[in-house]
Amino acid sequence: MENEKIHVDLEDFSEEQFMESFMREIQSEEAVFILGILVALALVILTVVFFGNFWGSSKARNAVLLLGLCDSGKTLLFTRLLLGKFVRTQTSITENSTTYKSKNDRGSSWTLIDVPGHESLRVQIVEKYKAVARAIVFVVDSSIFQKDVRDVAEFLYSILTDNVVAKNAPTLVVACNKQDISMAKSAKLIQQQLEKELNTLRMTRSAALSSQDGAVGGSVYLGKKGKDFEFSQLPNRVEFIECSALGSKGEDGDADIHALENCLAKI
Amino acid sequence: MLDFFAIFSKGGIVLWCFQGAGVTESFGGPVNALIRSVILQERSGNNSFTHNALSLKYKLDNEFELVFVVGFQKILTLTYVDKFIDDVQLHFRDRYKNELEQRGALKFLLNNFEFGDDFHILLREAEGSSKAKAPVSMRTFNESQKSQKTVKSMIETKDGDKSKEQVGKKSKNAKKEGEKSGGDQAKAAAQTASKKAVETGNGGLTQEEIIERNRAKFFSKQLGGAKPEKSSKSPKPQKPKGKMNRVWDMGGKRIAELDYSGTNGDNSSDAQNQDPDATAEPLIQVDSMKGDLRGVDYESSDDDDDEDEEVQEEDRVVVANTNKKGGKKGGFGGMFGMLKGLVGSKNLTQEDMEPVLDKMRDHLIAKNVAAEIASQLCNSVAKKLEGKVMGTFTTVASTVKQALQDSLVQILQPKRRVDILRDVLEARSQRKPFVITFCGVNGVGKSTNLAKISYWLIENGFTVLIAACDTFRAGAVEQLRTHQRRLNSLHPPEKHGGQPTVQLFEKGYGKDAAGIAMEAIAFARNQGFDVVLIDTAGRMQDNAPLMTALAKLIAVNTPDLVLFVGEALVGNEAVDQLVKFNQALADHSKTDKPRLIDGIVLTKFDTIDDKVGAAISMTYITGQPIVFVGTGQTYSDLRSLNARAVVSALMKA
Repeated sequence: MENEKIHVDLEDFSEEQFMESFMREIQSEEAVFILGILVALALVILTVVFFGNFWGSSKARNAVLLLGLCDSGKTLLFTRLLLGKFVRTQTSITENSTTYKSKNDRGSSWTLIDVPGHESLRVQIVEKYKAVARAIVFVVDSSIFQKDVRDVAEFLYSILTDNVVAKNAPTLVVACNKQDISMAKSAKLIQQQLEKELNTLRMTRSAALSSQDGAVGGSVYLGKKGKDFEFSQLPNRVEFIECSALGSKGEDGDADIHALENCLAKI
Repeated sequence: MLDFFAIFSKGGIVLWCFQGAGVTESFGGPVNALIRSVILQERSGNNSFTHNALSLKYKLDNEFELVFVVGFQKILTLTYVDKFIDDVQLHFRDRYKNELEQRGALKFLLNNFEFGDDFHILLREAEGSSKAKAPVSMRTFNESQKSQKTVKSMIETKDGDKSKEQVGKKSKNAKKEGEKSGGDQAKAAAQTASKKAVETGNGGLTQEEIIERNRAKFFSKQLGGAKPEKSSKSPKPQKPKGKMNRVWDMGGKRIAELDYSGTNGDNSSDAQNQDPDATAEPLIQVDSMKGDLRGVDYESSDDDDDEDEEVQEEDRVVVANTNKKGGKKGGFGGMFGMLKGLVGSKNLTQEDMEPVLDKMRDHLIAKNVAAEIASQLCNSVAKKLEGKVMGTFTTVASTVKQALQDSLVQILQPKRRVDILRDVLEARSQRKPFVITFCGVNGVGKSTNLAKISYWLIENGFTVLIAACDTFRAGAVEQLRTHQRRLNSLHPPEKHGGQPTVQLFEKGYGKDAAGIAMEAIAFARNQGFDVVLIDTAGRMQDNAPLMTALAKLIAVNTPDLVLFVGEALVGNEAVDQLVKFNQALADHSKTDKPRLIDGIVLTKFDTIDDKVGAAISMTYITGQPIVFVGTGQTYSDLRSLNARAVVSALMKA
């Protein structure tokens, strides 16, 4: 009966001041009823917020990007991680992406994305996926690293100094691939060389910051000023591991990617 | 006969491959070269490519993201290959339709694509069909149509010449009876065709009658126009009056003022003096150019809108013409297609894309992209989109525009690392100077941009030697000397440890440029300069002796970087310039890996508002990155290329 009264009264309020009459009505009601309304409202708000968080986190970073120069073995690594079998590969024109079930106890799954290494494609595709990257696996060809160190360092530098990446600080795993070749450099050596190279790049690239404002891209300074650059100075978690996508026995055998798989399991 | 055939996904996973008998090397190398030079550089307009001894043909399947490539020896001319690829593609799609329609990259990995048997069947069919056509034997005269016609019917209606021709024809026919009746047939057919055209054009009049008619028209015009002619004749005799002396302003009276020697220029002892002018250097902030160059800013101003409207009107006129052609199709079917397109399961066909592509081509040309580059680009985008399934609620126009934008950004992205400062540091650590050569046609801004680049380099702490290898143009050496003095006054030697930051190496005029360059590099190595900038004379690309001289300079001195300086105002000429320059450099170098143009300097960028198409033309032709962009005439007007800004300026309506 009281409910009916309320509805009827509300319809008449078109002429009077709505708020005053509303307040009067509320005050005239019983406390329990008001409490009931307030609790219901609070519940609704809480649910919305909860689902909003849930939505946000499901859209949030659950991708692992496989980056690297051309011919470093990203696509083969992609297939080895997924299926363990060997396929012949060519230069990728588009990215490969699929869900990957990691081999840890939780069995969590995320998206593994193999980004083409070609210079004209990589910038655009990295732009597309950098916001959702939870981890970055940077694949390096260990056998020709000495020749390519500057290109590798420049690519790594451009990724690390990207605003979005620097803000999210995803885990960085540097996979020194092609260890099956005898000339391959070890992970430690590659780490040292990269640190030296990034140190130099820091100086040449970021000297511009002090004199210009609003520079496009890379306004991030890697590591600490005054000291030589080391990967430990980065806010991201960095790991250097060795692996071989081809494997010691070539096409028929397994790949040596246990270290990589363990790393990925920890993400 | 085929060397190999490969089917792989666009993501790089090889689904199936076939290697011909006796072929030892893997196809990976050539296919990678194909991908890098053709598909990724948006040259997929024509679908064949040669790599060493192999000739490669390919086909893109955009619906399932596959690439089909076939390779065979270049010396063989196999005619069945095109049709063969099409057949294989259709067959493969039909057979594996279910597997290919799954989503995700796993579909390529999980399924086994056993295509070998089908492939061999198709190959045998194709080879068989090409052998089946026997060579056509020529018809004898008696079989040909000409022998059926009477001579009188072949007579043309012209008098005089005709009778001679008749006789000539008869004799010719008599001679050529047993011989190539086919050739005569063709000629006779052509003549009859032209006769018919003449007849239809003039409503049946003979040639002489037409001439009579035209003459009559001409005389009537003459009679009617006789009066103005006469009146124009009358004022003529009044014109030649006496000759009046021409008065010059400074007519030889104030000689002292005309004497410019002594105030500028040739005093070599002046090298260390600082001009009072140089210190009053307005608007140049020292240390403003440290570090990497800023990207090109693109601001759109409101003043440009009027110009844009004019350009748009021209576009509309051109577009209207092309739309008339395309408007005949469609109608009811077009509406249905549009509805289907909205739902999102429509495949893009060539006919759908053609009107949009024509419009985009005209738009690009209006933005100063060279005409053949624009058409090649549009063909390449069409190839990339053909057969693709459009997403929901996307129109053909938006898909095509997006694809074109992506490919433009892709073209402008440098294919190799562009970091001059890092390379100079590397050269410094090896104790040799980093040599940059500037070449280009006349008047594009080589010396000005050389000065800007040396300013940037000294701001970053390097010492620069300018080699004046322009020994032809009057005042070239003095120009460089003036720049050197101004730069030294901005960065005085006292601040940099007593050594002048910029020095000029010159040997006057008329000497051999290559020799001067060699001496300059040796001098730089001895004195420990970090960078050598070689300024060459401007030369037209058609001028063979000058191009030879330039090629010799570059081949002998092997600079670290050969920069082609091109102005942004150039239009279709850019293609010609770059092709001929590269050609000359390749022809006159004695090694089998010639030094070609390594980079482009795009100058006078501030003079074009948003007609930035020259950047695309130049990068497309050479495949080399744009290293510097010149945006003015002061030292700080040097930028690096911002691909996104340029593409958005290009695509802006």
